[in-house]
Amino acid sequence: MTTRDVYLDYAATTPVDPAVAEAMAQCLGRDGDFANPSSAHCFGQAAAHRVEKARTQIAERIGASADSIIITSGATESDNLALQGVMHACRERGDHLITARTEHKAVLDTAAALERQGFEVTYLDCASDGLIDPDALATAITDATVLVSIMHLNNETGVIQDLAVLGERCRRHGVLLHADAAQSIGKVGVNVAEWPVDLLSLTAHKVYGPKGVGALYVRPGVPLVPLMFGGEQERALRPGTLPVHQIVGMGRAYEIADPAVEAPRLAALKERLWAGLSGIDGARRNGHAERCSPHVLNITFPGVNGESLRLAIAEIAVSAGSACNAETPESSHVLSAMGLSDALAESTLRLSLGRYTTVEEIDYVVGRITAEANRLRGLSVSAPAWCRS
Amino acid sequence: MEYSPEVKRRLKLPERAGLMPDPASPFVMGDAEDRSLNVWVRFQVQLHDGTIGAVRFEAYGCPHFVAAADWHAERLEGCPSGALAEPDTRAVRDVLDVPTEKFGKLLVIENALVACATEVAA
Repeated sequence: MTTRDVYLDYAATTPVDPAVAEAMAQCLGRDGDFANPSSAHCFGQAAAHRVEKARTQIAERIGASADSIIITSGATESDNLALQGVMHACRERGDHLITARTEHKAVLDTAAALERQGFEVTYLDCASDGLIDPDALATAITDATVLVSIMHLNNETGVIQDLAVLGERCRRHGVLLHADAAQSIGKVGVNVAEWPVDLLSLTAHKVYGPKGVGALYVRPGVPLVPLMFGGEQERALRPGTLPVHQIVGMGRAYEIADPAVEAPRLAALKERLWAGLSGIDGARRNGHAERCSPHVLNITFPGVNGESLRLAIAEIAVSAGSACNAETPESSHVLSAMGLSDALAESTLRLSLGRYTTVEEIDYVVGRITAEANRLRGLSVSAPAWCRS
Repeated sequence: MEYSPEVKRRLKLPERAGLMPDPASPFVMGDAEDRSLNVWVRFQVQLHDGTIGAVRFEAYGCPHFVAAADWHAERLEGCPSGALAEPDTRAVRDVLDVPTEKFGKLLVIENALVACATEVAA
């Protein structure tokens, strides 16, 4: 079989959409809106106008007002600002943070840093389908609880938490809710006007925008202190010269990213992929069957070492789990939290589809993974049961 | 993770993977595993008058592990049976450019070969 390169790692990052690149290019050269948007002269004001238009585009995609959007360098910074900013701002009120074991490292490592600073952190377990139990959340809330941080759409499994229900529990107890929605935009609808969510982390590069820019939605009135100092930009919550071209790129990307357009096509491709790969003996799909993203498919092939499979299909870009963990030998903390053994977690691939994925690519990937998974399994037919369970 | 061309070649076409082609001819067998490292290996070794004949292996593990098992199987054919007790782990480490964090997996292969040697001695 002739091999062909296929990119199925859109949950790690996406290429920049040509329309986004075009909008960014208009802010780079001497004839473009390149100036510092904090400057009072006409060049600066033209750039500032671009920034505010982009801020509006970002806000409209999530049902927010433009003045609730703080520009950051990406979702990791947004998570840091949300967790550290709120916990420090509310320290007089309480010192307890609740999050989940299935969170991204950007939240887990920030929570660990807060613990080292003397804050209390509770890590919620999830069910085997990846969902957080709203009652377990309510039980974990104490008088000292200030903030709950729960990822909306899990980057490894695609599982979607019910923020409306979780947020309602938080509201009932007077606790703030932060959600990392880095993976959500363009795949599922996000509406902070309807959801009881107080802070929302966003990024551009998962949505065909540039790397290095993101945003934090902050509901008006939510207390927040900055992590950095040195200017009045972004209401002094995130100082530094605004990267106009990056922000404009993010705005354009968010304007384009309409889940009503993209999600049905992605969901159909994902089901075609699963229909093909489910033919491999023992293949199992991880995560809730309905409450899941249209673009992430997380599959375990028992008895097939995942690292060997990834090398065997090296022309196909897939991930072991989170790309952010790809260099570390530990198995996925998300899959472990869902109850998978180390052996099964290491026999797992995350395939994530995107705007440029085609039916032909899906069919090719099904054929290649099926052939290589069966071949590799044939190298260890006498292996003990733990290799497959 | 970077892989050497030798690792890629042996994972793609592990020539000595599988079961003994002539099971009627006597052979010794040795297994080893390390669940914490997520690896398992089994060697089957035919002996003729103190000389190693055909060697076959089964392996569950990462590309370096499979390639290392294949390399050992190839190298051992034609050697005196005593070679089973002294696998050249340093050589396979260098030939396959095995990263430091995977050295422990090579010792699992060594254990399986030593298990074969023990069976020969018995």
